[in-house]
Amino acid sequence: DSHIQYERVGADVTMKCGSMDWDAAVTWTANGTDIDESHLNGSYLILKNVDLSQSGQYSCYEGSSWHLKYQTYLRVGTPPKEPVLMCRSNNYPKGFYCSWHLPTPTYIPNTFNISVIHGTKDMVCEKDAIPKNRCHIRYLQLFSTVKYKVTLTVTNALGKNFTTLTFDEFAIVKPDPPESVVAKPVPNNPRRLEVSWQNPSSWPDPESFPLKFFLRYRPLILDQWQHVELSDGTSHTITDAYAGKEYIIQVAAKDNDIGTWSDWSVAVHATPWTEEPKHLTTEAQITETTSASTSSFMAPPTTKICDKGAMVGSVAMAVCWTAGLVVAAYSVLFI
Amino acid sequence: MAAADSPSAALRRDLCSRGIRLAGKMRADVVDLLDAYVEQQGLDASASVAAVEGVPLAAVERWDEQTGTQRLLQNLAAYRAFRALLAQMLEEQREQLGEADAGLGRALAALLLQVSAFAYHLEELLRLESRGIPGEEEGDEEEEDGPPPPPRLSLFEQKLRGLGVLRELAQWAVRSVRDLRQLAKPSPATGAA
Repeated sequence: DSHIQYERVGADVTMKCGSMDWDAAVTWTANGTDIDESHLNGSYLILKNVDLSQSGQYSCYEGSSWHLKYQTYLRVGTPPKEPVLMCRSNNYPKGFYCSWHLPTPTYIPNTFNISVIHGTKDMVCEKDAIPKNRCHIRYLQLFSTVKYKVTLTVTNALGKNFTTLTFDEFAIVKPDPPESVVAKPVPNNPRRLEVSWQNPSSWPDPESFPLKFFLRYRPLILDQWQHVELSDGTSHTITDAYAGKEYIIQVAAKDNDIGTWSDWSVAVHATPWTEEPKHLTTEAQITETTSASTSSFMAPPTTKICDKGAMVGSVAMAVCWTAGLVVAAYSVLFI
Repeated sequence: MAAADSPSAALRRDLCSRGIRLAGKMRADVVDLLDAYVEQQGLDASASVAAVEGVPLAAVERWDEQTGTQRLLQNLAAYRAFRALLAQMLEEQREQLGEADAGLGRALAALLLQVSAFAYHLEELLRLESRGIPGEEEGDEEEEDGPPPPPRLSLFEQKLRGLGVLRELAQWAVRSVRDLRQLAKPSPATGAA
């Protein structure tokens, strides 16, 4: 006779050896290992202040015959805390999804039940196969001022808990980040970088529901981001890049009219075009400093920057690497 | 694409673009007005307001299946109703006129102008679709000599109704932008979506 027994962490647990009398001679094992008699009260097994490590299979054998009289699987755990629930529409106007998790594990199985009400109407949230803690709903109405109320209940053998979210249709609209962000140098333009991207593939109808974009970029050596908001198009040319400096660039998206900004896209790196060095000079070799460049667009090291031929026409930019960092700091003052 | 460049298609696109800008501006102004209205009327911004009789609801099912003409007609009916509702709100404001509400009154008047202008813009689009403009009395089921005066509401009920009107207008402004974008798409046949 084998079953599962759930107990709270810290509880005192008493296990009876099936239908055996209290004074019967028995032996208890935990995961196959004999349990010391000090834990027995007659034929009852007493476990005080149980902890997670005491989960396992407990078996009780009749003293003389070693017949198995009782077996149980003890699962030590906790009742669920209030779950964390999030709902979002990344595919407006088709619908939205809700996902959830527990802030701390319970160590025993939990079941989740979600209900969605729109006004007085019950809606069905269809569970996703993957991931398991997610369900999605198709919008039956658009442009409604009536709020949605989503209640998530989590239940396990030791208790239950719930949380409720209330929101309106527009508030939860948040696209996925733009995809396929690419940044390239522009030939013969030492201060330009061409950035392009695509609408997130999850956004179903960008023609009818256009997205606007937010681009941010900075040279790796500085902490301050530059920002550009773009109301249409999926490309932009940065025209104020510092010559020869590697940049990090990201893009975010938002529905043109409603909702919130997406997370930032995956970051891309690029360095503006720089002129090929004509020759190496002794002076340039002396002033050369090591520069750990990861960009394939980066011109051969530093020497050419000191070459007058590499001047890019701006006083602020015509400097050697050795003073590059200083000038970068100064240049910020001119922005 | 050659068909999309016909004069009427180009005019339709132009009217739609202007309408989208009008609706966008209208929405921004309604949102600002809503904040001021809630504050000055001493209301709770999160208060739920039950659907008020006579306020056209923006909520719609199967929105993507509507034809262009359906979109225009529904928009026109809505903004005509808002024109009357805002005029009524303005009159009620004047009755309760106090210095604190003068700015609110001006903002309501400005919004009323925008709503009127947008309704006219919709009529232009309907003419372009070669549709007759429905008379404003259409749908009126009351006596032939005009609807009966609405029941007198308490001050609080007036404020709540005003909140409902502005909220619904904000939704309509967003819907109108979407409707006009759909309308601006080249369509294979007249009156189709």
